[in-house]
Amino acid sequence: MLAFIGRRLLIAIPTVFIISVFVFLLQKLLPGDPVLALAGEDRDPATLEALREMYHLNEPLIVQYFYWIGAVLQGDLGMSLRTNQPVTSLILEKLPVTFQLAVMALIFAVGIGVPMGILSAVYKGSWLDYIANFVALSGLSIPNFWLGILLILLVSVNLGWLPASGYRPFTVDPVRSIETMLMPAFVLGTALAATLMRHTRSAMLTVLKSDYVRTARAKGLRERVVIMKHALRNALVPVVTVSALLFGELLAGAVLTEQIFTIPGFGKLVVDAVFNRDYAVVQGIVLVTSVGFILMNLLADTAYMILNPRMRDQK
Amino acid sequence: MSDNAPLLAVEDLSIMIGRQAENLVDGVSFSVMPGETLCIVGESGCGKSVTALALMGLLQTPPVHITSGSVRFDGHDLLGLSVDDWSDLRGDRMAMIFQEPMTALNPAFTIGDQIAESVMRHRRIGAEAARARALEMLERVGIPAARTRLDAYPHQLSGGMRQRAMIAMALANDPTLLIADEPTTALDVTIQAQVLQLIRDLQRESGTALILITHDLGVVAEVADKVAVMYAGRIVETAPVEALFNDPQHPYTIGLIGSLPGLEAGQRGSRLATIPGLVPAPESMPAGCRFADRCPFATATCAEAPPLREIASGHAVACHYAPLEEHCAPEQAA
Ligand SMILES: Nc1ncnc2c1ncn2[C@@H]1O[C@H](COP(=O)(O)OP(=O)(O)O)[C@@H](O)[C@H]1O
Ligand code: SF4
Ligand SMILES: [Mg+2]
Repeated sequence: MLAFIGRRLLIAIPTVFIISVFVFLLQKLLPGDPVLALAGEDRDPATLEALREMYHLNEPLIVQYFYWIGAVLQGDLGMSLRTNQPVTSLILEKLPVTFQLAVMALIFAVGIGVPMGILSAVYKGSWLDYIANFVALSGLSIPNFWLGILLILLVSVNLGWLPASGYRPFTVDPVRSIETMLMPAFVLGTALAATLMRHTRSAMLTVLKSDYVRTARAKGLRERVVIMKHALRNALVPVVTVSALLFGELLAGAVLTEQIFTIPGFGKLVVDAVFNRDYAVVQGIVLVTSVGFILMNLLADTAYMILNPRMRDQK
Repeated sequence: MSDNAPLLAVEDLSIMIGRQAENLVDGVSFSVMPGETLCIVGESGCGKSVTALALMGLLQTPPVHITSGSVRFDGHDLLGLSVDDWSDLRGDRMAMIFQEPMTALNPAFTIGDQIAESVMRHRRIGAEAARARALEMLERVGIPAARTRLDAYPHQLSGGMRQRAMIAMALANDPTLLIADEPTTALDVTIQAQVLQLIRDLQRESGTALILITHDLGVVAEVADKVAVMYAGRIVETAPVEALFNDPQHPYTIGLIGSLPGLEAGQRGSRLATIPGLVPAPESMPAGCRFADRCPFATATCAEAPPLREIASGHAVACHYAPLEEHCAPEQAA
């Protein structure tokens, strides 16, 4: 088990290296001179040259890369050109907020998508199946921003049940934190719930036809046990893998949702950094997100292995 | 239930797929006495598995559904039972072994769990006792190092071992009827004899009645008390095993046995189907005798479906020209 994870981490190293090279080159290829941005009004050539020297911008690219990656490995992603704060601390400050949003959204997605998928597979062809598919299609096709605005109008403005904004960190005020996150998490979760529902449905349909489900019935097990134990356990294998991969998509979707619900998360950081051409921050974000994706992939593989005894024996 | 009442009595069972014009299984009747072994033989696709699954209530409905008939088992009218009552019998009084050991066990649970689960479902005992029973069964079916196998997953066992585990699972609650649907077909030839022998030994020990579905006439000669020959969804001949081999009456049975030169009881590995032609597909069943296309004796009369008629005690044949001695010249019948 640990050996498996260790091996996977080793395999991930070349991937991370290639990503880091891309991220590094991205900065070099982008239009606009960061030194000019940094110097602001001061266009004195001597100042510019000093800045170039300071950031090793006169060295060959490859040397610049090693300066950069060396710092990155020590947790130094540079300074924000706008706020003069370390990028690392900016990211560390915002990441937990978005992580909370993504986790809550995933709970919604799994909580809605998996049961709906099971029901529509078990009652395939019935009105329940049609309704579930209709809801799923709606969930996929309603844009997040529209659903978000609608919810704010209905739940916050008209009914006054939940706050539309005013996020507090979970560690400061957990109740308030969860309250403000409920609607955004729901909005973010619905599209994923639809995807999960379809995956669960098709996995369940396949599994329900399998010989071992017939064996379970031949033992006289109640249909409930046949479905929730023998069938679901196997159908979950692909579903869990998909969920872990969708988690990355959640982080991407969070950008827009955070804007709608004015949540001070990663999304806001991304948008601000891009509009301000705050390259160091953009770079840091891309790097952190990529590594996050790789970790989620690893998590998906590990979950797959835990759920699938056949994989455990493979060396 | 009196001593000479059958354990299982199937009357006029008909099964259809979807909305096809003809029944897939058509008017099948047979019975099994307690402790008796009935072999059902016939070429692949003739409806043996569908019939067996119907007895267990395991048909895939839709599209496969029972259109008529009755199944009486141990005093119960199975087709009239509620889903729950039927599942109380399944795995307890009646059990089944399938053809494909590679896929019949759930890959996500250990062998021990899967056997113990069945025991706990039908007996009021705890997990420990059920596990002990699972171990006992694994030992009885001759799985070496049974104690470690208890915690093995199906993929860690060979096909033969998995089929033994299936047998252990099926017999864990001492059923009175065991249905084995081609239990050795998917196994290596060397393993086939061992697994078959195991089933016979366990059956003899426990007095379980056995319905063995096979297309191996050698196996039939060896284990059957009674044989039902199926062709294209109908029973064309049923007889005690000696009568079937010594005095086969249906042209299809004669063809099957004829394609086994010099068959003697105990001979194995001999397979059916050297009769020219193919079994008609379910969607194109002929209206009259379903064997007419391939029958050397077919006449205009055969456009009419022949009923299953008893020609001697316990020996019934579905052919207009049975018994053959009365209708044909001897050299024709040979
Ligand atoms: N679930 C099903 N759906 C459609 N056709 C089926 C199904 N099960 C069996 N059949 C058809 O019924 C026929 C008889 O099948 P089966 O009972 O498995 O034959 P056997 O066991 O004698 O080889 C075959 O033609 C098969 O294709
Ligand atoms: S009824 Fe006719 S076609 Fe059918 S088996 Fe008898 S002789 Fe052949
Ligand atoms: Mg079959």
